[in-house]
Amino acid sequence: MSAGPVEILALRSAAAGALALAFGGAPLGVLLAARRMSLSGDAMSHAILPGVAIGYLLAPNNPLALTLGALIAAFVIAGAASLLSRLKTIPEDGAFAAVYLPAFALGILLIGRQADPEAVHELLFGSAGAFDRDALILAASAATASLVALALFVRGFLGEGADPVFMRSSGAPGLALHLVFMGLVALNLVAGFHAFGAMMTVALMMIPAVSARFWARGFVGQAGVAVLISALASGAGLAIAALTKVEPGAVMTLSAAALFAASAVAGPRGGLLQSLPGRPHLEG
Amino acid sequence: MSALALRNLTLGYDRRPAVHHLEGAFADRELNAVVGPNGSGKSTLLKGLAGDLRPLSGSIDLGGLSRRDIAYLPQDSGVVRGFPMTLEGLVSLGLWSRRGLFGRITGEDRDRISAAFASVGLTGLEGRSLDEVSGGQLQRALFARVLVQDARLVLLDEPFAALDARTAADLIGLIRRWPAEGRTVVIVSHDLELVRALCPQTLLLARQAVAWGKTAEVLTPANLERAEHLSEAWAEGAGPCHQDEHPHHGHAA
Repeated sequence: MSAGPVEILALRSAAAGALALAFGGAPLGVLLAARRMSLSGDAMSHAILPGVAIGYLLAPNNPLALTLGALIAAFVIAGAASLLSRLKTIPEDGAFAAVYLPAFALGILLIGRQADPEAVHELLFGSAGAFDRDALILAASAATASLVALALFVRGFLGEGADPVFMRSSGAPGLALHLVFMGLVALNLVAGFHAFGAMMTVALMMIPAVSARFWARGFVGQAGVAVLISALASGAGLAIAALTKVEPGAVMTLSAAALFAASAVAGPRGGLLQSLPGRPHLEG
Repeated sequence: MSALALRNLTLGYDRRPAVHHLEGAFADRELNAVVGPNGSGKSTLLKGLAGDLRPLSGSIDLGGLSRRDIAYLPQDSGVVRGFPMTLEGLVSLGLWSRRGLFGRITGEDRDRISAAFASVGLTGLEGRSLDEVSGGQLQRALFARVLVQDARLVLLDEPFAALDARTAADLIGLIRRWPAEGRTVVIVSHDLELVRALCPQTLLLARQAVAWGKTAEVLTPANLERAEHLSEAWAEGAGPCHQDEHPHHGHAA
């Protein structure tokens, strides 16, 4: 089977976009996983639906309208959930559930009779061909914004994640940092949803992040491993998808899952092989 | 000069007082204990002193100190053990009040962190992650963070609970040096023997101040019995009390 020049170009664009998303999203996934907020990204991927629906209703064939709609919805949902969780009556995941489920339902109502089935299918599972020039620029911008923000605010992000009580008593701007962080998560999600589908983009953010915990100890190490796994899964998934003519998002996610399984077995930090009976408990 | 004074202070949750009408001052550059039965308002008072809880009425006079001069170690530290951070990272958070979000960590800061690790007996464990250390080692690291903060006022809530004897003894030795270094320390503890041995000044709480002054004069059988009685008699659903009730006065500033 051979691919034509158009397919090769599309594949190159998708690979470049996936690499950008790996650099932008995977380190954020490490922080989400460490804060036990792994499902918050999943919640957000559902919550962008009303924004996409409104964008679709206003301009059916305009990717920019869909992107802006998704971005606005993601920021609104992230902000609302963050503010709700600050009330301390409900935990963060509970706040997300309270906000994203109604948002998802609203999205279904809005989009239900208007969109053609193919458009909904692409939203959920993506299309590698959707990584056009604008989508690539958005992915690169999301990656750049994420890495710059991580470099600038890493002390705050790590402090808030490791010891939020201490940070609050030290007068750290916890809410502002949290909103910036969730805004970056939203940005990366939206940057990937055209090509890989919203839910699959979350998978590429979270599965490499939890895999990295089997390999590295500190945040920098885990972020590096997560980027590597995300890039490998994306590359393998895109190649398989191109050869078998299936949706790339799902194959990329399954590739990431395979790397997770390998990590869970062979990883030096708590992997299955490490916990087998009979291993010497003393070294050196 | 007193570092920390309470002015008819009432603290509580959802507008219900948990401890009320406290009037008095903690001894400056001294080890102060706060004792009392379970649920007597000890931890609530410490939260109020740390700025985590706003007074329902009255006020706290920090004697010119700002929030950055206060180190607060709650009973449940809130450290997320699974977070990908090393002990060194945790201890270096103590620089937050000085360096904030963007300030550069200097060589002097690194020396301070190393010295703090040495003071709590954790040298060599800087690179361990939070989920690789024992509870005692984590508590030592939190004390090291207090040292890095170099705070004038140190608030400790049951700092020796669930620690082995060796760790507790080491940390007590550390705390003993703090008044000479210019720090005022307020320790919440249920261990009266420890308080008698460690703290010259004590506030005995039972939702209100039962007695406040020299430890030997406060921890008398009569005062302790009164504290138990007051604590048992407290109505959990009690609403806001009125200002014309007589506040209990602590020892003179």
